[in-house]
Amino acid sequence: MMTSLFEHGLLSATLAEGNALRDFIFGTGGTGHHAEMVEETFAWIFWISAFFFVVLMGLTVLWSVQYKRRATPVALVSSSHNTVLETLWTVIPLGILAVMFFKGFQGYLDLSVAPAGAIEMDVRAAKWDWRIIYPNGAESTEREKLGSAKEIPIFYMPAETPVKLRMVSNDVLHSFWVPDFRGKFDVMPNRYTYYGFTSGPIKGEKKLEAGPFAGTPYQDHWLFCAEYCGDSHSEMAAVVRMVPRETWAKIVDSWSGAGLTPVEKGKRLYTIQCASCHSIDGSKNTGPSWKDAFGKTETFTDGTSGVVDDAYVRESIYEPAKKLVAGYGPQMASFKGILSEDDVAAIIEYMKTISVNHKPAEGQK
Amino acid sequence: MSEKAAKADGNEDMSTINHHGSHAVGGHHDEGSYLAPKGGLVSTMWAWATTIDHKKLGVMYLAAVLTLFFLGGVAALAVRVELFQPTTMVNGKITGQVFQDAGGAVAAGHAIYNRIFTLHGAIMVFMVIVPGIPSALGNFLLPIMLGAKDVAFPRLNLLSWWVYVVGSVLGVVSIIMGGVDTGWTFYTPYSTSTDWDVYMRVVLMIGAAFVLGFSSILTGLNFVVTVHKLRAPGMGWFDMPLFVWAIYSTAIIQVLATPVIGITLLLLIFERLFHVGIFDPAIGGDPVLFQHFFWFYSHPVVYVMILPAFGIISELITVHAHKKIFGYRAMAFASLGVAFVSFLVWGHHMFASMGEMASAVFSALTFLVAIPTAVKVFNWVATLYKGSIQFTAPMVYALFFLFLFTIGGLTGLPLGTLSTDLHLHDSYFVVAHFHYVMMGGTIISFVAGIHHWWPKMFGKMYNERWAIVGACLVFIGFNLTFFTQFILGTRGMPRRYATYIPEFTELHQWSTYGSFILLLGFLVHLFVFIHSLVAGRPAPKNPWGGLSLEWETDSPPIEHNFHHEPLVKHGPYDFETTVPPHWDPKDYPIPASNFAAEKH
Repeated sequence: MMTSLFEHGLLSATLAEGNALRDFIFGTGGTGHHAEMVEETFAWIFWISAFFFVVLMGLTVLWSVQYKRRATPVALVSSSHNTVLETLWTVIPLGILAVMFFKGFQGYLDLSVAPAGAIEMDVRAAKWDWRIIYPNGAESTEREKLGSAKEIPIFYMPAETPVKLRMVSNDVLHSFWVPDFRGKFDVMPNRYTYYGFTSGPIKGEKKLEAGPFAGTPYQDHWLFCAEYCGDSHSEMAAVVRMVPRETWAKIVDSWSGAGLTPVEKGKRLYTIQCASCHSIDGSKNTGPSWKDAFGKTETFTDGTSGVVDDAYVRESIYEPAKKLVAGYGPQMASFKGILSEDDVAAIIEYMKTISVNHKPAEGQK
Repeated sequence: MSEKAAKADGNEDMSTINHHGSHAVGGHHDEGSYLAPKGGLVSTMWAWATTIDHKKLGVMYLAAVLTLFFLGGVAALAVRVELFQPTTMVNGKITGQVFQDAGGAVAAGHAIYNRIFTLHGAIMVFMVIVPGIPSALGNFLLPIMLGAKDVAFPRLNLLSWWVYVVGSVLGVVSIIMGGVDTGWTFYTPYSTSTDWDVYMRVVLMIGAAFVLGFSSILTGLNFVVTVHKLRAPGMGWFDMPLFVWAIYSTAIIQVLATPVIGITLLLLIFERLFHVGIFDPAIGGDPVLFQHFFWFYSHPVVYVMILPAFGIISELITVHAHKKIFGYRAMAFASLGVAFVSFLVWGHHMFASMGEMASAVFSALTFLVAIPTAVKVFNWVATLYKGSIQFTAPMVYALFFLFLFTIGGLTGLPLGTLSTDLHLHDSYFVVAHFHYVMMGGTIISFVAGIHHWWPKMFGKMYNERWAIVGACLVFIGFNLTFFTQFILGTRGMPRRYATYIPEFTELHQWSTYGSFILLLGFLVHLFVFIHSLVAGRPAPKNPWGGLSLEWETDSPPIEHNFHHEPLVKHGPYDFETTVPPHWDPKDYPIPASNFAAEKH
């Protein structure tokens, strides 16, 4: 009966169709078909729960007042067993729960089975940063800062387009959660997991302000890591920025990184791979800042000291725990297999340009 | 009078109203209170440390569990204080971060927070909620409720206690050495890769959980045998108080499930110390395998935490409403049913990491648990109908339990439902849900039970008015702390976060205010208990008019529990046909007039 009421929109109108209560529970950012499904199912469970809660607590309060002990401590005679009643309150909830199960399973398949014709992308998670690799191999080079000053990436996504994410972790367990999509799935180090979504239309009045795509409407959604992964778990976030599909394609093309000089390539790699832990403005983060780092003499945790030179940078990228700068923990995972020798060389060239401690040889300026 | 008791009774008095529920058989042992000191201070302490008396062990567990509850509670407050504001960096200066690292890095400050929430979770789960009710109240009450002198294996009981002490000390040592940041669930591969430089702390903490497991197994074994073998003459299975049924169901889970976590934690220690690849994919293991092993134990253990609470609530509602429990058999079978199904639902902790088939099966099985649990709530509410309800502190708490546990139970529905769970999993919604069940359910009923049996345990009454004030503060503080977290969760706040986006600030602040009201409530209880021990008026044998056997013996009980072996002639809830023994209804009237009485 509840189901038919719901399907006829009598109950859904009160929660899932957008009103004050829905906004209070979920906020207003929800987007896409899956989010609607989850909100509808939640609304359905919510009203059933509210009904049982009100009946049970109503009776508790009513009887507590009505049968409060007065002069006589003796209870009134009443039955302590009623087969019909007890059968009813076992069978009816069972029926409701069966419907609940099926609604839930439908929604689950909606998230785990990607919609047909989805654009496929790769998600890579590592302590404590997200990467999304677009179909053309490009990665976002745009970042912004959280309140705590940690750099997080901005991932552009096409609005109203089915997307399938293939996800894997580089170290421990993580979980990919965009609360506005109303779904999450774990990201594991030993196998691929998948996450499918189709976002809704762009809501709100926001427009990109600068750059070649200024004026493009967009809507931002948070991406959080939902599986505890250590020190900066709470800052392992990203911005998922929905833009119209045609603009999205152009933006992603502009990131492909072809024809860059080594310094430009190094800067690009820094933004994608390193910026979440190493600053370039001198502020202290999970790892040492790169500002004025190259050519500097550092003290290591084992008490020795040495110059940050090409060899040290390369060693630190491939075997990060070998020589740690004093004051920092062994948080970095090896980038062997992720950054090539060419990439490392490009990063070294970039580091040179942001360090006053680097003295170029005569005539090499 | 139950049929069984009537049969045992033979030709004796068959009248439906019998003034004294039990008959004296056997010899006379007039002895003093079990609390009476033996000689000097040192010899008394030695007598307690080596005691095989289940009552003394119960009291020692109670003291230890409450101390650890305080420690875990301080950690919880530290968590709430840190979350009062998000961490922000303004011109290179950190604000809103309470626990800062000397080096000044934001992430290092978060690492401190991670240790604190791990500390809170590990202490509250392994050292407080799991052993709390069975070891403290169960130990004290189970033999007395069965009419026995002691548990079946008193020496084993003493061993359980010392194993618990060793486990707790290991855990505390690990914390003193600097703590661990794995979370109480020790998920791999994080738990096998974190803190490499000081890996002994993680090994110690896991070792503590392993050792505490043995205490659980031994206590469970003891209780199962006690219930089977030591029921008083005339007490059939369905004449047992529901608290005994609950402890019995709990004990079965403890015996069957705890070895699994023992083996799992041992494998984890092996992996850490000897690099045997079991869970860590870097050396060939599978991290989800750990989750399966872990929850195969830890989900049944959720019911180890809540079943004894159900038992307490059944006792409290019947005694203080002076009413036979509605659906006794349904209640007993619901306990066993929950215990059985609890073994089949562990996978619902992994909906976000398993395949579709497994998720579907586990979701369906999870809904099955809802049925016996719902039946219990229906029965408790139905028991109130036409009762004679007395608003003592235990009863007020029992009613609060109904309110909080119903919310806790109903919010489990969107978590068992697959699609909504993928949104709510690992969010503050889950945090709020399990606090409503574990704290609103288990801790609230534990505190309720302590009040209910306090006169029996210590032979002193407590101040009813202040106890109710404390209960109300706890209730208000609890709801403010945790109801806000449901909304944080649906709006997208992930759990185990040391900081958050600014949108969540207001709700987090309400939650923190609530936690301090909660603290105030518990402090009121602490003072009520201390006041009772120092200046409480002597407790009568049966202050509430209960019918189970613990109300027939002295308050506090003598060393061998009963002067004569009791013979059971009525059920524990036959209020309509039995006058409770040693009970003067005027002895403990409703609170308002009680205070007038207390003055003269």
